[in-house]
Amino acid sequence: MFYFRLVRGYRLVDLGRLLLTAAAAAVVAGFLLRALGRALSDPPGTHTAVERLLWCLPALAAVGWFAAVAARALPAQRPERMAGLTAAGAGPTRLRLLIAGELALACALGSVVTLLVFLVLRNEIAGPSLAPELGMGVPLPTAAPIALVALLPLVGGLAAAVAVPVTQQLTGHQEPLPAHRFGLPRIITAALLTVGGTLTELYALRPAAADDPRPLRLPAGLGHTSAVLLGGWATASFGAALLTGPLLAGFGRVLALGRPAPRRLLAGRGLTGIARRLGTPLAVLAFTIAVVLTSVRHWVAPGAAGTGPLPAAEALLLTGCTVAAVLARLTEIRAARRPVTATLLRLGGSPRLLFSAALLRWSVAGLVLLATGGLTAALGAGMLSR
Amino acid sequence: MSAAPPDNDVLWARGIVKAHDGNLALREVSIGIREGEVLAVTGTRGSGKSTLLGCLSAQLPVDSGEVWFNSSPVHTLSRAGREKLRRDRFGFVGSEPHLVPELTARENVALPLLLAGAGHKAAYRAAGEWLERLDVSDCAKHRPIELLQSQRQRIAVARALAPLPRVVFADDPTAPLHREARDQLLRILTSAARSHRLTLVLATHDPELAKYADRTVALVDGRTPAPATPVQRPAAAPAIASH
Repeated sequence: MFYFRLVRGYRLVDLGRLLLTAAAAAVVAGFLLRALGRALSDPPGTHTAVERLLWCLPALAAVGWFAAVAARALPAQRPERMAGLTAAGAGPTRLRLLIAGELALACALGSVVTLLVFLVLRNEIAGPSLAPELGMGVPLPTAAPIALVALLPLVGGLAAAVAVPVTQQLTGHQEPLPAHRFGLPRIITAALLTVGGTLTELYALRPAAADDPRPLRLPAGLGHTSAVLLGGWATASFGAALLTGPLLAGFGRVLALGRPAPRRLLAGRGLTGIARRLGTPLAVLAFTIAVVLTSVRHWVAPGAAGTGPLPAAEALLLTGCTVAAVLARLTEIRAARRPVTATLLRLGGSPRLLFSAALLRWSVAGLVLLATGGLTAALGAGMLSR
Repeated sequence: MSAAPPDNDVLWARGIVKAHDGNLALREVSIGIREGEVLAVTGTRGSGKSTLLGCLSAQLPVDSGEVWFNSSPVHTLSRAGREKLRRDRFGFVGSEPHLVPELTARENVALPLLLAGAGHKAAYRAAGEWLERLDVSDCAKHRPIELLQSQRQRIAVARALAPLPRVVFADDPTAPLHREARDQLLRILTSAARSHRLTLVLATHDPELAKYADRTVALVDGRTPAPATPVQRPAAAPAIASH
């Protein structure tokens, strides 16, 4: 009941988070129940059920990722709510439980809706085309759908509980900004991985290279590739993801070089300041979009083997969750910077100046997204070209 | 109807009323601030000091009443007009330093000058000078998070004084400081105001600190109960003669 009381004070952002989590959970629950339905209809002895369940993993991870980022952003967005709950005697553990419970509840809502649809459709309503997907005509073991559907609130809630910031930041105190600088080992590791992976792949793609005697089959109708190409691509993508934060910080520093006017100074230093917070969600988004775009390009190419609607639905879900995670992080950053904005306005900075500084900052962040995502996509396309 | 303000008042308010979410913070406050004086506004927490300073310094629009600066109305200004006034004529120190966290101390102090359109070189030179005057020049290249609260507060004072505004508003600037640092900060602030002929409006809940002012106005529940009384000493006397 307590949650529903809290929901009464919800604003659009909170409602959006709730609905988005529920919708994503409903889609993933659909994947899981379809895997169950196929497993029921398949004749005994076929081994595709595990593969189908593995297909649900990226989607499950995407929902967990969004739940984690949303849970982290929540206290900063609603400091007065956190302060009120703390004043009412809720300790750090209870606040963590409350936030995690809220996201788990949203996940449960979505998956229960899907389960109901699944059960109704199974009841001889769906046509014969859907029958094998739903396991129609085969008795449903009670524990199976419940276990699958309970997985979502569990993943969402756990991810959220782990991600909720530590106590001092919960209670509305001024949040200590994390150190701006990325350590040199991190930058060197990231750069080495990126360059090493890229060179490995380029070497394996050289025209004189012999065909791999043991090609790897890729899922979702993406064809075949070699282990060296896949390794090179994975290494370079990981390196590019690690490099995203340092690149943001570096570009910020470059932006404020020389004798910057207030706009360039605020944009550059601001970008360096948020590099650590923005880096990870941006890296995840760049990687996801790169993989999705490369796959779509392969699917729509002439002569490509057709795939079912499932990979497309999964691609859509992954993109949606990672974009939403970046948006949640942006609202968190914006909430944390509210006092800074107030100070700048009080000093007589015009809203137009602040807006244009923010625009410059986000444009440069977009460039970094293009650079790392572009590298991952280009190398991915190269890998699939073999 | 509006009467013209007295000539020697740089800032002048009559009958200003201001409410926050329906709670009346100021009930018909009238006040006149003379050019170059140090005026203390005293009162307990919630007496309306901060709101009064906000209204006088063109941060908050008044609900009714009038505010005049230099014989021109402030209460009728647009938001852009108030921004320009704050940028070009007013300085502000709050009870928290409110520095921009990602900028160094020197960049923080230079920022209002840059916002007002000063050249890069001039802005940074002035910032360096003011940091030196406030005895925090060794913090120039550090970001606020690396500094002590007392150092941050001095940097905030330097930021308010560097553009040489006509009026400096200080809203309980010593709230986060120890007694020693408190006296030092107020001495620097008042002596800088006097030597540069700035007008200083100092809000404080500590009646003891009113000794740094030429004149004191007490606020009680958003009202000024008694007419402001001048302190029995000449305004021109250097307050820091003993230091």
